Amino acid sequence: MLAYILRRVLQTIPVMAFVALFVFSLLYIAPGDPAAIIAGDQATPADIARIHAQLGLDRPFLVRFADWAWRVLHGDLGVSIFTNLPVSHMIAQRIEPTLSLMILTMILSIVIAVPMGVLAAWKQGTLIDRAVMLNAVIGFSVPVFVIGYVLAYIFALQLEWLPVQGFTSISQGFWPFLRTLILPAVTLGGIYIALIARITRATMLEVLSQDYVRTARAKGLGQNSVLFLHALKNAAVPIATVIGLGVALLIGGAVVTETVFAIPGLGRLTVDAILRRDYPVIQGVVLLFSFAFVLVNLLVDLTYTFFDPRIRY
Amino acid sequence: MSAVLPGDPAAAPTLPDVLPPVRRRGAVMRFVVRHPTIVAGGALIGLMIFIAICAPYLHTVDPTALAPARRTRAPSPQYWFGTDMLGRDIYSRVLYGSRVSLIVGFSVALLASVIGMLIGLVSGFVRWTDALIMRIMDGLMAIPGILLAIALMALTRGSVQNVIIAITVPQVPQVARLVRGLVLSLREQPFVEAATASGSRFWKIAFRHILPNTLAPLTVQATYICASAMITEAILSFIGAGTPPIIPSWGNIMAEGRALWQVKPYIVFFPAIFLSVTVLAVNLLGDGLRDALDPRAAGRL
Repeated sequence: MLAYILRRVLQTIPVMAFVALFVFSLLYIAPGDPAAIIAGDQATPADIARIHAQLGLDRPFLVRFADWAWRVLHGDLGVSIFTNLPVSHMIAQRIEPTLSLMILTMILSIVIAVPMGVLAAWKQGTLIDRAVMLNAVIGFSVPVFVIGYVLAYIFALQLEWLPVQGFTSISQGFWPFLRTLILPAVTLGGIYIALIARITRATMLEVLSQDYVRTARAKGLGQNSVLFLHALKNAAVPIATVIGLGVALLIGGAVVTETVFAIPGLGRLTVDAILRRDYPVIQGVVLLFSFAFVLVNLLVDLTYTFFDPRIRY
Repeated sequence: MSAVLPGDPAAAPTLPDVLPPVRRRGAVMRFVVRHPTIVAGGALIGLMIFIAICAPYLHTVDPTALAPARRTRAPSPQYWFGTDMLGRDIYSRVLYGSRVSLIVGFSVALLASVIGMLIGLVSGFVRWTDALIMRIMDGLMAIPGILLAIALMALTRGSVQNVIIAITVPQVPQVARLVRGLVLSLREQPFVEAATASGSRFWKIAFRHILPNTLAPLTVQATYICASAMITEAILSFIGAGTPPIIPSWGNIMAEGRALWQVKPYIVFFPAIFLSVTVLAVNLLGDGLRDALDPRAAGRL
């Protein structure tokens, strides 16, 4: 088991190295002088010269990459061109809202979507099943900001149950914190719920036709015990995989959700960085999110043995 | 043995019709009943294409014409969807905006499928490239798609062409993986062995025997890519990293309505409805195609 974990961790290193190389070289693959790209349309030659020196463009590419990678490994993501603050510092300031939003969304989505999928599979072909599937198609089709605006319009503007926008830190109490995050989490969860519900239903249908489920029924187990203890546990591996892969959707969605609900998180930081063409910040955020994504999927891989003891490494 | 002839008294009497007469449907009706999602999705997409092409003739005005005197009018018989904060007619902007979404959706679906298919074919056929190509694809897939598109857009000037490229790049690895997987299983099939044994060249095997067999799953995948590309285009425009603001696109109209959405929600909602319905139509078409092309999986996913 330990050997497997070690091997799996080692396997992620080339992937992360490639991501780092790719994110770093994007700036140089793009046509034109990188310093001019970063400086933008209204830059003076002096600006361009300053950025040119800042990027160290007179040195060879691989030397620059090695230098940059070495600093990234030490937590130094460079300096923002717009604010002149260290990027790692800016990220640290903004990470709490994004992390809270994503964790809450994951919990909420799994709690809603898995029972939904199980129910749909159990009642296959009925109206409930069709309703769940229709819900999933709609979840895939309605863009995240549209869900956000509709929910905010109904629950914040019309009913005035929840705040329209903003973020309250958890240090100011759990209830105010939760109140500001409910709408954003439901918004962000839309597509994630659709994804998880669909895969849960599909895997459950496959598992429910297995012999051991018939045996469990034949020996007189209750419906809940058959569905959740026997069937769901055997369906867990594909579901966990999709939950891990779906984090990519959550990351993309968080950028939009934070814009809709004016949450001062990493997504908002990214959007501001785009508008100011602050490439070091974009680079830092993309790198951080990609590493987080790889890490989540690594953790998901490691849960497989828990769900399915037959998986031995 | 004597044959029983028609009209022979020994023959059994004709059976009465107990079953109701078989209703004869035309080929069109039969298709509609069998594949309702393909028909509904296809019809809606057809309607959207019609709107996009005929936008100038559908009672629209110049979508970029400013009229500061008529800012933020609510929907009325004169301005069907109201006007935005610069007095532009939202009905016209939404209709013209369909062009950007459809062009981006279809182009990305086509480009990502073709590029991904070629990469997948090479990876599946040429053994020594497989490990390298797949590691690169893994690396690309490790970057969340929208972030990769954002990073690409941050480096280039906003234009529809650049938006298409930025959305295509993150979609390619998935197609490449799908095609590679199909090629790996197809190349072991007897008909490929037969073709090899009868002396077909590599290219002929790849394009005559393998490629046609990947088209069905690839088409389904392409419709999903189209739907997700339309959403991504709107997201990019919405956060200000997409189609240039001069061109009316659904994402741009919503981005401009963002500041006013609490007081003038209709500016955001009309393009939102069009976008959602179009994406829904493409998704329905994709689901329908998947069920039609792979009856075994029908009703499962």
